[in-house]
Formats: sequence, structure tokens, C-alpha cells
Amino acid sequence: MAATVATKPGKGRRKTAEDGTRPVSAKLSWRIRLRRDKSLILMTLPAVVLLLVFNYAPLFGLVTAFQYYDPLVGVWHSSWAGLDQFRMLFQDPLFWGALRNTLFLSLVQLVLFFPIPVVLALLLNTVMNERLRNFVQSVVYLPHFFSWVLTVTIFQQMLGGAGVLNQFLRQHNVGTWDFMTNPHTFALLITSQAVWKEAGWGIIVFLAALAAIDNNLYEASAVDGAGRWRRMWHITLPGLRGVIVLMLVLRLGNALTVGFEQFLIQRNAVGHSAADVLDTFSFYYGIATNNYSYGAAAGLFKSVISLLLILGANKLAHAFGEDGLYRK
Amino acid sequence: MNRRSLLSSAAAVAGAAVAAPLLTACGSSSASSKGGTSTKTGLQAALPSYVANNSLKADIPSVNGAAGSSTDPGFLSYPATQTRTVSGVPGKGGSYTAVTPLWGTVPNPGNSFYQAMNKALGVTLTMKPADGVNYATIVPTMTAAKKLPDWIQLPTWWNPNFNVGELVGTQLADLTPYLSGDNIKQYPNLAAIPTGAWADGAWEDKIYGIPSFSSGFALAGTTFFRQDVLGAKGITADQVTSADDLFNLGKELTNAKGGVWAFDDVWTYLFPYFGVPNKFTVTDGKLVHKYDTPQILEALDWHYKLAKSGSMHPDALAGNNNDGKTRFYAGKTLIAGDGMGSWSLTDAQAGVAANKNYRRGAFGVFAADGKSTPGVFLGTNTAEVSYFNAKLKKDQIEELLAVANYLAAPFGSAEYTMVNYGVEGTHYTMVNGVPTATDDGKKYVQQQTYPFLATCRAVISNPGADQVTKDYAAWQAAASQHVYKPVFLNMNITVPQRFATADAAQAVEDTIKDCYHGIKKVSDVQAAISAWKSSGGTQLVQWYSDNVMAKYGTGQ
Repeated sequence: MAATVATKPGKGRRKTAEDGTRPVSAKLSWRIRLRRDKSLILMTLPAVVLLLVFNYAPLFGLVTAFQYYDPLVGVWHSSWAGLDQFRMLFQDPLFWGALRNTLFLSLVQLVLFFPIPVVLALLLNTVMNERLRNFVQSVVYLPHFFSWVLTVTIFQQMLGGAGVLNQFLRQHNVGTWDFMTNPHTFALLITSQAVWKEAGWGIIVFLAALAAIDNNLYEASAVDGAGRWRRMWHITLPGLRGVIVLMLVLRLGNALTVGFEQFLIQRNAVGHSAADVLDTFSFYYGIATNNYSYGAAAGLFKSVISLLLILGANKLAHAFGEDGLYRK
Repeated sequence: MNRRSLLSSAAAVAGAAVAAPLLTACGSSSASSKGGTSTKTGLQAALPSYVANNSLKADIPSVNGAAGSSTDPGFLSYPATQTRTVSGVPGKGGSYTAVTPLWGTVPNPGNSFYQAMNKALGVTLTMKPADGVNYATIVPTMTAAKKLPDWIQLPTWWNPNFNVGELVGTQLADLTPYLSGDNIKQYPNLAAIPTGAWADGAWEDKIYGIPSFSSGFALAGTTFFRQDVLGAKGITADQVTSADDLFNLGKELTNAKGGVWAFDDVWTYLFPYFGVPNKFTVTDGKLVHKYDTPQILEALDWHYKLAKSGSMHPDALAGNNNDGKTRFYAGKTLIAGDGMGSWSLTDAQAGVAANKNYRRGAFGVFAADGKSTPGVFLGTNTAEVSYFNAKLKKDQIEELLAVANYLAAPFGSAEYTMVNYGVEGTHYTMVNGVPTATDDGKKYVQQQTYPFLATCRAVISNPGADQVTKDYAAWQAAASQHVYKPVFLNMNITVPQRFATADAAQAVEDTIKDCYHGIKKVSDVQAAISAWKSSGGTQLVQWYSDNVMAKYGTGQ
């Protein structure tokens, strides 16, 4: 993801495509291109190897989704199940519950989480004092480097039933506020934790895009009498549009991946029916009960839907005239 | 023979070598999928003879309880002169690797204690303790790759996770020829391990495992309380004789404003008091799963009400079990369910560090309704069984059995002292007649490794904390009068793979947990149970009934 983002300085790249760099390179033989790009290829090689070893090679394991896999006899000797695992999966109310939770949490996060880094980046961009800006930026970045265990612990210490807030309320004879163990507000809890932990990190991309906007545009419009809001509406937001759409495409593609540890840690607090998402479902009802094939089937289902989602979202991006993940 | 044909024949040989283990693996899978357990007569023939060892007289003698149980002997002093039970060194210089679970800090490899043990044992035994918390996921990777160490500890509560029923005979060595009947007498310390514990390492009429910490009175755990705090309020254990008493006590002890809640999680060790069986019970000759009993609903109802009553610590309700002991030591909770292992010297040390008056106590066994006969089911005689790799040759197995015999030396012997306290002067010193660990001892010896391979019968001994020994022994003696043998006790049953999901019943167990945390109602558990029944639960019970109870009995 980082690589895609780095090569996207707004709309600038489209111009080079239009003025014909691409068709020329297509005419060159692969040998010449190889020589020309060898340092670039060399640089990406380690990443490609990692991808092959840890992302492509394990794909062969998907075969277990069609078996009654027994690790003691191995993949080659486990008996075939055909589509039995999927049949059981689709009849399992727990699976549908996990899917429903996943989609719901994804939607809530899309609405409540996604805009926050954009807004934060815009706000931060208006801070002129560089020292203050760097300070604020560091402070909001920091939680990204905390583990989920730590994040949840901090929330528990602050907002938990025996936490600072509730103990204060209790001592002043005010009713307590049950936020950490209430399954009905779990989506809000999860999102507020995610905002606290990740929103600061999320602004990096948008800050980079903001830096790429030509300052002359602002000056020219200011001379023409455009106020702060008009400048934001007509210059800043259009400048960010490409990145926002890209991030949205990626988010939609990952709609079925809402996290794992965050749910694993808080599963006991709100109960399995509120906290189980597809990934924890695979873990608890697949790996933890030695039913690997069942977990693999749930994982494969998730991957297929995710692929369709990302392709669909990308098409949508193209329809809006944006680059999306790749150009046509 | 030209070069090409040489190469191809070499490839053919290599191919055959690869194919051979695959073929045997194939055969084993069909053999094991049938499932089963030991027969009564077959097991009797295989079990080792028992030769008691009474060299040291216990300060608090063992008490015979109900259902053939006998409590662990208690020792208040440590013998000044320690007798040797093994002459010479047991090993012949072989090299082996052993993997054991460790709930603590892994000692440095090659530390002074390992070196001293290797010298005493006469073998190079490389200890590789693995994180106990993740042990259930570490071992399957070894078995899937068929790379088990020479000697491995497999805790029995994870038998289904490890699929031990399928591993025995294929990856784990059959020890029946070495240990059955009087054969064991050449290993006198192993022969002093009570017979019931050997059954926990027996699979389909053969002996595979060596038990550790075997006890004639094995309970998984119980409901503890802060004896010092409750005692100061004039509350004693015998005042609690019903679930209502306990409930009311909770209300009385809770002071939420002061940050004190009476209860931590208690379900795991309290539900048996409601008459809920371990897993099965037999009613009118019919096998009944515990999910099918009305008692479990009563137990859940009480625990649900407890969760809603405000006398449970909010962090416990939030499922934070890791800090449970910290809450208990700090006096933020006063009543908590815990394993019996927590009644120990280390617990006393940790508790006293938090509060100098700290003393652990436990409620006696009572009937939840206060009227029925109190009863709690016994656990297996051991929960820790170690196994040898099937690749070991006969003389290697014999060498390791001699090592196991050393490790299983009785309490207070020279070998026991070595295994549990290390070398005098280096790992421990005698302070007022009590072996006291040095810093090295705490780092290398107290982090238990060797005892997970083999130990003598369990004893209660907490040198330096006699009160703990006295409290625990007295509680055992009282509780032992109220135990019963659960259905299928000490029977290692291999359940066919197709029932693995139903047997684990993860969905029901999850809902039960949510219920005693006050998130789900009892009716939700009932719904989960009926879903479980229709998706394999009923068939599972039928399988147990037809293939285990009808053929092998209930083991009671």
C-alpha cells in the first residue's frame, strides 16, 4: 500500500501518461527495459520475495477448505470433503452472526472513522507554527505504536467498571456508565479505540497529498479574492480527492477485515455474539477446536468476497474519473 | 551401469524412502478414525504393579476419603539427611531433547542447574521449556511436521488439541513391554506412582505415558477466599453451607465505593456444587450429557444473578482473567475460583508481598440448595503425562526410563532434593532446616522443567510456609468425604474427527461464559444447547453411549 501511495502525487502523473511516455516504453524490448529499470527491480525484489513466500505460497493451503484436513496425516492424505465445509458454514448461524458483525462494524468505521484523519490533516495544515504542528503530529501519531493489549487496558483503566471515571461517579453517588462491557454499544467502543489509536497515523497520507498542492494556486485565488472556505473547497479538497478515493477503495476492499486482536481481547467482555467477526470466527471455530478445514473455508469465503469488493470499488473509482488502485 | 541409470535408480530409492512413511501415515489415519478407549481387562493386564514407598513418615498422614480417594500426605519439615534411592547414575551417556510447558520465565539454556542435572542423570538431556500459555498451539506444529522431541509433556486437558489418541503408536512410543505388571519393578520409584495415574497415560490397552504429580485426591480447583480479611470480620468457611449463603456473603463484603468487590470469576469450580456432572451422568441406565441436565440451568441462573448483583468485580465481568490473582492479592476481590495449585508456597510469598497478613482459605464442599448431599466429582489422577518419541530404540527407552525413575524419587530423598532444589550452596541453602532457594535457584530451579517429565506421588510441602501446608491438608481431609467418581474417569477416549466440533461445543461454552458474566441470559444458553444438539450434539452423546459406555462401561 505504501508503494502505491508514494507514486501518487495527485493528478500530476496522468499528464505524463497523456504526453506519451507510456506508449514509448511499451515499444522497447523487455531486455532494454530490464537494463533501464534494473535498480528499481532490485529494490522491489525483497518485497516481492516476501510476498511470494508469505502471501502466495500459503495459497496452496486453501486446498484444506475442500478436505477434512487432519494435520497428522497431512494435506496429501486427508480425505476430500468437496463443498461440505462450505455447506456447514452457510448453515451455521454463528457464521452469519460473525459476517453481520463484520459488515456492521465496517460500516460504522467507514462513517465515523474514515473522515477523521482527513479533517485532522486539514486542521493541522492550517497550523502555521511549524514547532506546534510537529508537536501535535507526534502526539497524535504515538498511540499507533501501542499494541491493542495496551490500548484496551488504557480504555479499561479509564472507562471500565472499576476504572477512573466510574469510580469517580460512584464516589459521588452518580450512576455508573457501562461502556466497556455493553454489547449494544460495542461498535462505538471499537471505533473510538480505533480513532484514538490509528487516526493520527492515518493523516500522514493526507498531509503528503496536501504538501503536493501547488502553493501558487492558493496565492492566485487569494489575489482573486477567494476566502478561506472557498480556497478549501476549490483547491484543497480537489487536490485531496485522488488520495481520498484511493483510501476509500482500499477500505472497501478490506471491508471484511476489521481487525483481530482488538476483538480477541474484548470478546469476553461483551460476549461472543457481539465481538465475533470473520477472523475471530475462523480462529475460535476453526483453529481452536482443531477444525482447520472449517476455518480455512471461512477464510476462503472472506477472501473471495474481499476480492470482489476491491474490484467493484476500483470500478467505481474509475467511474468517478479517479485512478483508484491502478489505471486502466 | 551408465550414469543416467545410476541416477534414476538412486531417485527410485529416494522415492521409496519418502513413500514409506507416507504409506504408514495413511494406514494410521484409517486406524485411528474409529475412535475408542481401553477395555477393562485389557487395561488391567497392561497397568504396572504398585509398590508403595513409605520410607518417610508424613507429618500429616494421608486420609482415605469417599470413592476410593486418598488425600496427599503433608510434610512440615524437610529431612536433614536425605537417603539415596538410585545407586550410581541412571544414564549411559545418551543425548536427548525434552519439551515441557512452562508458565513462567524460561531459564537460560546450559545454566548451572541443567549442567548439574545432566551430571547426576548421566545423560545429556537438553531441556526446551515452551510457553505454557501457547502450548496447545505449539505442539500441533511439531506433530504435523512429525518432529516431536525425544521426550515431551502433554497435559491431559489438551489431549483433544494434541490428538494424542492418534499420536500414540505412530509418533509416541509404546511403553507397555517395559512397564506393565511386574516389569516396572526394575524402576522402583516409578512403581510407587499410584495405579490410577498410569491409566491417564494409557490408550487402547497400552501404556504410553508417564504421569507427573499424580494424586489420589485430584480436584481441579475450588472456591477460595481471603482468610485474613474474612477472619477479621468474624466470618468462617463453615458459615457458608449453601449458594444463598455465598450470595448474601458477597453482598455483605462488597464495598464498590472503596474499590472492593466480593467476587472474581467462580463458575469453573463452583458449578459442580449445583449437582452438575463433569461431562456425563447416567440416569436410569441412560447416558446424559451435562447440557441436558436441569442442574446446569440452575447453576447458570445463580451465576447470572451474581453477575447482575453488583458483587462481582467489573474487571472480572470484563473477562480480564490475567489480573485475577493481582486483584485477589490486593484485596480488591475476596472470593475467587482457582486451581488447587494456587494453594502453594509461591502464592503465599506473592500474597504476603502485597499484604503481610495474607492467608488463603477455601470454602468446604456444600450443596447449592443447602439440603442435598454435597458432592463434587474427582478429577483424573494426573493432569500431566509425558511421552517418549516412537523413533527411540529399545536401549534408549530403557535409558530414559531409568532417568524417569530418578526424577520420580520420593519426597525428601537425595534425588528429590536435587530435582526440586538443585545443588546445595549453589541453588539453595538450608535456613532453619528449610531448603531456601538462592537467586540462581529461583531463576533455574524454581521454574519447573524436570518435574513435568516425571515426579513421585504428589505431597503437600511448602517449606517455610507451614500454615499453607496445614490449611491445605485440613481442607483436603474434609473435602475428600464428599467426592464421587464421574462417568468415564481416567478413561482416555479417542473421539472420531467428525465429532470434534460437537465434542468441543465451543458455541455453548462461549454462551455459558457470557451468561456468568451477565451478558447472555439462561434462555440464550438453552438456545445454544438446542442448536448444539441438532448440529451433532445428540449424535455425539449416542456415539459415547454406543461405543464407550456399552462396550467399556462408565469407569466408575
